[in-house]
Amino acid sequence: MPRALSRDGWGGLAILAASLFLFALTLELKDSPLVPIGPGFYPRIVLGLTALLSLWLLIFDFYSKKTESKEKEQLNYRLVALMFAQFGLYCALLPFLGFRISTALYVAAANALLDPPVRGKGGAKGWVRVLLLALLTAFLTHLVFERYLSVLLPRGRWTDF
Amino acid sequence: MFELLGAGIANILQFKYLVPLFVGTLIGVVGGALPGITITMTIIVVLPFTFGLEPLQGLAAMIGVYVGGETGGLITSCLLGIPGKPSAVATTFDGFPMSKKGEPGRALWLGIWASIFGGLLGAVFLVATTGPLARIALQFGPWEFFALFVLALSMVAGLVEASLAKGLVAGALGMIVTILGNDPVMGQKRLTLGIPMLEGGIDFLPVLIGVFAFAQIMSEVERMGGAHQAIEAVDRGVTLAVSHMKVIREILSRPFLLLWSTFIGLVIGVLPAIGGSAANMLAYDQAKKFSRHPEKFGTGTPEGIIASESSNNANVAGSLVTIMAFGIPGDAVTAVMLGALTIHGIQSGPLFITQNATLAYGMFAAYIVAHALVLAILLPGVRWMLCIVDIPKATLFPVVLVLCTIGAYALSNTMSNVYVLLAFGLVGYGMVKFGFPLAPFILGVILGDQIEINLIRAIMTDSDPWLFLTRPISGSLIALSVASLGFSIWQHHRQRAKAVAHVEADF
Repeated sequence: MPRALSRDGWGGLAILAASLFLFALTLELKDSPLVPIGPGFYPRIVLGLTALLSLWLLIFDFYSKKTESKEKEQLNYRLVALMFAQFGLYCALLPFLGFRISTALYVAAANALLDPPVRGKGGAKGWVRVLLLALLTAFLTHLVFERYLSVLLPRGRWTDF
Repeated sequence: MFELLGAGIANILQFKYLVPLFVGTLIGVVGGALPGITITMTIIVVLPFTFGLEPLQGLAAMIGVYVGGETGGLITSCLLGIPGKPSAVATTFDGFPMSKKGEPGRALWLGIWASIFGGLLGAVFLVATTGPLARIALQFGPWEFFALFVLALSMVAGLVEASLAKGLVAGALGMIVTILGNDPVMGQKRLTLGIPMLEGGIDFLPVLIGVFAFAQIMSEVERMGGAHQAIEAVDRGVTLAVSHMKVIREILSRPFLLLWSTFIGLVIGVLPAIGGSAANMLAYDQAKKFSRHPEKFGTGTPEGIIASESSNNANVAGSLVTIMAFGIPGDAVTAVMLGALTIHGIQSGPLFITQNATLAYGMFAAYIVAHALVLAILLPGVRWMLCIVDIPKATLFPVVLVLCTIGAYALSNTMSNVYVLLAFGLVGYGMVKFGFPLAPFILGVILGDQIEINLIRAIMTDSDPWLFLTRPISGSLIALSVASLGFSIWQHHRQRAKAVAHVEADF
């Protein structure tokens, strides 16, 4: 008896669509006269296989019995989205502000987000913790990697720092 | 072999190698003891620190993390009932009840000593088999390598806990990552989607770091700010004093249990990407089945602790065999090690041990010495390890993500790897939410290139596709792949039938 799709089905559908799209792109790849196997040979096998497997997942999900989960755990997706957004912003700012400034800003923001200083930690003390963690992380990682391990970290285009 | 091992041990005992090995082991013990921080995460954090080191220094640090992490995980398992890592889950079943019965020191040290014995027995296997297995692999042509990589991928996809279809789809998705960029024969651009960053292909390390770090951190973050945060208060007044001779006798008086659990750990370690979490559960289950008093399991019996802990440390040796003999990572931790080797320009695989004998035997030695260092750390410091569960995750996670960023950036000193890290962080978290296993995905990313290269090499050498089946080793490996998938299908059907029967019985 067909039912509505579950997350497996939606996952299978998304992967099927993506693999068919990429498969179509491989048809534009031109074979070389120098070698018997063109650049599209292996991608077509992989993408065709992926399409078949995701179709299997989709069909299996469509015809399988779905059981209602008894109790759904309350998960904080807002916090996850904000963490990703903060990290995305960090990645965007790194080439402009440089490693030290953007890392200090990111660590402060992420720490304040995960453990807000105003809630339960006694305001000013919490902000001091946030500031200390941010500055220490930026300073120590820069010192260890650039000075002792010869690993170059990004310099800021705007700050040259 | 013994001469080379002796030289390796003498080499690793030099100050310049011993320091990174000790620091790695210490970080591993701490990371292993921290609930919610896996060994994979710990080794990802350590990775950027190894870039500026010599290959053996870096690998010694990583082996230290691996061995230390496997042992460190049992501390919170035994004393708090919270497994420090997935491969210490079974230790909790008997370690924590034994602690609650008033024997926390016995529970803890039974686990630590069993880890040491299991690990050292694993070392015998590691040293004795890696060379011969690599010599067998040297006989392989492209057909055999293709079949071997396909076998590895099919086994991983089939043995993961999620559905077989999801395991296979995850593996295929990993392989898709490797087809973006240049083709390996003519270097022609393919499937770059007009994104210049994709033209050179995607390095597997930022993918691996992104997938594992974000999947784990975000899975913890989504539980923050709610009722999940409460951690049982640690009783620091608890006495951990114990007679070590008595504990050692208690373990050695059960030789079959120790050997069988070690064997299980080794076999699971050799199989690609299954890892210690399966090894400790399987060894625990076997110990219970072979026991004269299975009813005592779960109430604080020493057999449960010995089985679980000896198997998860032996698992490390098994994983190292696979990566050193075949270049196939046994799990995510060895996948990071593979990346570290690549960064230093060292090719893993069958030629590794002959071309880099000093490095290979240095790694064996690091594995053996790391066990002694675990003891050196835990004998005086086991009580301090209890304090680390107090480290707030709000402090830990931003710092870990900064280290991941450094790890990705430093691979080529370009921001593109940082963007790959972020993109695959989203992919990894999405995969977890949709229930796709990460292990086959990562193996697909690592082996995808090699599968393509060997497939093309085989066809360009001889266009007859039947050679994949008619060459004895290649044919056997492909038959094993099919058998592995068949077994997985049968196993999943059996589990589903059991679940249906259970639901009907409940009803």
